[in-house]
Amino acid sequence: MARSGVRRPKVRSFTLSNGLRVLLAPQASSPTVSVWVWYRVGSKNEWPGITGASHWVEHMLFEGSPRYGKGEIDRAIQKVGGELNAFTDTDFTAYFTTVPRDHLAVPLDIEADRMTRASITDGEVARERTVIHSEREGAENWPEFRVEEELLQLAFRVHPYRWDALGRRRDIEQMSAEQLRAYYRRFYGPKNAVLVIAGGFDPARTEAEVRRRFSKLPDWGEGVEVLDVEPPAAGERRSTLTGPGTTPYIQIGWRSPALTDPATPATMILDTILGGESRLFSAGMGWRGRHEHPTARLYRALVDKGLAVRASSEWSPRAYPSLFSIQAQAAAGVSLDRLERGIQSVVDRLARDGPSAREMSDVAVRIERGASLSYEGATRTGFRLGYFATLRSISLEDELYRALLRVSSRAVRDQARAIFRPEARAVVRYEPTGAAGDE
Amino acid sequence: MSERNDPLRIEYGREVDGLTIVRQSAPAGAASFSATYVGPGGWGFDLPQEAGTARVVNQLLTSGAGRLNRVALARRLDSAGATLTAECAPESAEVTIWGPAADWRKLLGLLSDVVLRPRFETVDLDRVLRQLAERQLREIAQPGSRADRELFRAAYPDGHPYRTSGLGDRRSVSRLTTEKLRRFHQRHYTSGEAVLVVTAPARLPAVEIAATKWFSGFPETRAPALRLPTVRASAPRTIRVELKGRAQVEIRIGGDSIPRSDPEYAAAFLANEVLGGRGQLSRLFQRVREQGGLVYHASSDLEAMRLGGYWTVAAGTGPDRWPKVVPLLTEELDRLGDRNVPAPELDMIRESVIGEMPLALESTSDAHELAVEVAYHRLPGDYLARWPGLLRAIRPKDVRNAVERTMDRRRALTVLAGPLARP
Repeated sequence: MARSGVRRPKVRSFTLSNGLRVLLAPQASSPTVSVWVWYRVGSKNEWPGITGASHWVEHMLFEGSPRYGKGEIDRAIQKVGGELNAFTDTDFTAYFTTVPRDHLAVPLDIEADRMTRASITDGEVARERTVIHSEREGAENWPEFRVEEELLQLAFRVHPYRWDALGRRRDIEQMSAEQLRAYYRRFYGPKNAVLVIAGGFDPARTEAEVRRRFSKLPDWGEGVEVLDVEPPAAGERRSTLTGPGTTPYIQIGWRSPALTDPATPATMILDTILGGESRLFSAGMGWRGRHEHPTARLYRALVDKGLAVRASSEWSPRAYPSLFSIQAQAAAGVSLDRLERGIQSVVDRLARDGPSAREMSDVAVRIERGASLSYEGATRTGFRLGYFATLRSISLEDELYRALLRVSSRAVRDQARAIFRPEARAVVRYEPTGAAGDE
Repeated sequence: MSERNDPLRIEYGREVDGLTIVRQSAPAGAASFSATYVGPGGWGFDLPQEAGTARVVNQLLTSGAGRLNRVALARRLDSAGATLTAECAPESAEVTIWGPAADWRKLLGLLSDVVLRPRFETVDLDRVLRQLAERQLREIAQPGSRADRELFRAAYPDGHPYRTSGLGDRRSVSRLTTEKLRRFHQRHYTSGEAVLVVTAPARLPAVEIAATKWFSGFPETRAPALRLPTVRASAPRTIRVELKGRAQVEIRIGGDSIPRSDPEYAAAFLANEVLGGRGQLSRLFQRVREQGGLVYHASSDLEAMRLGGYWTVAAGTGPDRWPKVVPLLTEELDRLGDRNVPAPELDMIRESVIGEMPLALESTSDAHELAVEVAYHRLPGDYLARWPGLLRAIRPKDVRNAVERTMDRRRALTVLAGPLARP
């Protein structure tokens, strides 16, 4: 059988005088090199009126600078056969470029430039406004997006986790170019960033190149703590949405701990036992999207029993207390009352009895196997290193891995009791108005 | 790198009961392996009154095999750190296993159970049918899938496999029985016209030995024949589907095109990359998003299969903007057909495609996808290594000629699905 354990490539790390954290992970045989820049800015840093600013700035960083004219970033990368993209989350924004290994200088030049010198002109902001709007409209076509957005604003009253990273519609319509520039100037810069280079490159030469390109950048980039603290949940909150769709859908969110909470490993196991995803430690193809998990409790209780056609749980470690959610799409003819009772029965049972010894050992094996195969390819390596380094440090991966394998059944049960409290729950139901919605 | 270790060169081995064995070297440093069976199990083989059969059979393959019921199979995969996926297309169906390279022989054995000895348990059939019913509804309800559906229904005649997504409808699916599904499996998960592609740190003889051990004994070695009905040239027209309550209109433009074996495939491939297949470099992205600021997504696709193919342009935009977007899309189609692509632009697109090849070799699963395509289409073993040369031989006028024949905008159908009325 394959050996298990985290098989991370050797990492050379250093911090420049302007605060930029740099991780170099050479993989001698890799035909590609992947450059990731993670900024510790996300929707958590926004406030009403500028929700969606992190995501919008992410778009603007592809639109040019005094050095790179409009469209030149895309052309520079793609003409050498590279791919580039970016994504924005609650706690971070990440930019990545993967190129054939001979072309590392191209993304390095771009990232050093746009770290402090993106233009964000009035004209480009005006043009991009409809692009962002269109991205949001595409998401709104899906009932699942509408439900999740409603759940966040139902569950949180104070904390910025109460809006989606895409931002509110009204803020997208009204945010000004100057607000975006101010946001960029405040949060972007070496001091608030992690640069990761993974794949086929010479580490000594690359370190020198990184120092040459990034050391002279000003020490900008504010890492801001969110001071708004969500008060403890004091009662269940409910909402029902209606709209076009197929079969009824439900999402329930319970308040859950932050990454720094000692119960984080137990919460991760809880998520795996309920929904089946081992996420950070999933074997390979998880990178390409989720698949069904017939051994997971929700699947067995809801999908197998004919109550739902899909059922899953979701919890990701975040910087601040967030939500543990369960979502399910009803099978034809099944009411949301019945489906909700089914979900409640699953979590009640887990909180009462905890996971079985077999479930615990199955999860441990999956985590071991997943960890052993999680560093294949430069792009994936860049993602993992940057993700853990941005959340805290790359040693977080080892600590989580070891802690996950030590979690007891009892700890998972206790965490289920701590999370699945009725008064800490927000429930959003989606009742479709017609099967096809044709008019 | 020796040719034997080059993932760009695949090796055809001997046949096992008619099943073609193909081996690809795993990328250097890879710790995983992939194997895929591709056979003639697509929904083009569904009986007209039993549409949905192929998809249900394909889904059921991952729901238990040999002595393992669905839960036991999932547990076995989890304990190996492996994953199993099944996909169904108009002409073919495939099953892929991925896992640690060290266990490739054992996992190949598990794949053979999945392909050859599915259980077709009633409880699994009931579940898959419930899921299928929901997908049927969703296909109609969601603007994107609805636009696709209407485009293909307009472009292809009754009985043509490209006309549908293979989901069937409530009535056709209600006719399915375990016996019918077993019969379909027996006839269509054959060794004839099928390939087994293995990407592993192993030499071809070792792969052949393992494949012989696990994949002998197909119930049927003859491949079923699939004939496509004649596609009559459609008159260009616009189909509107009003879906109230949605936020975005999905636009599709497209029509019939060529099979993968067509001599003009490489030129048509480049034409599509210029138009909308090459992300941010493509004309549609540049014109409609970067210059116009009118959409989030705008792209094109050329789907070339064994027997035929189709081309599509796709974009999504708000109810107040689609009247501006549609003319821009058609203008770009006209420009591609009316004028040669300027040589610098064609060079940039071509070198981007060629330069990207190392990215397709980042991991075993990435490289494996390339090998499956080559093997399924019976292309030469060095095809991927020769692909840059094929592309570099294409001239601007070749692209224009290919557009005329393979992406015929004069007969293109346009579909709009979503909230068409302005708010």
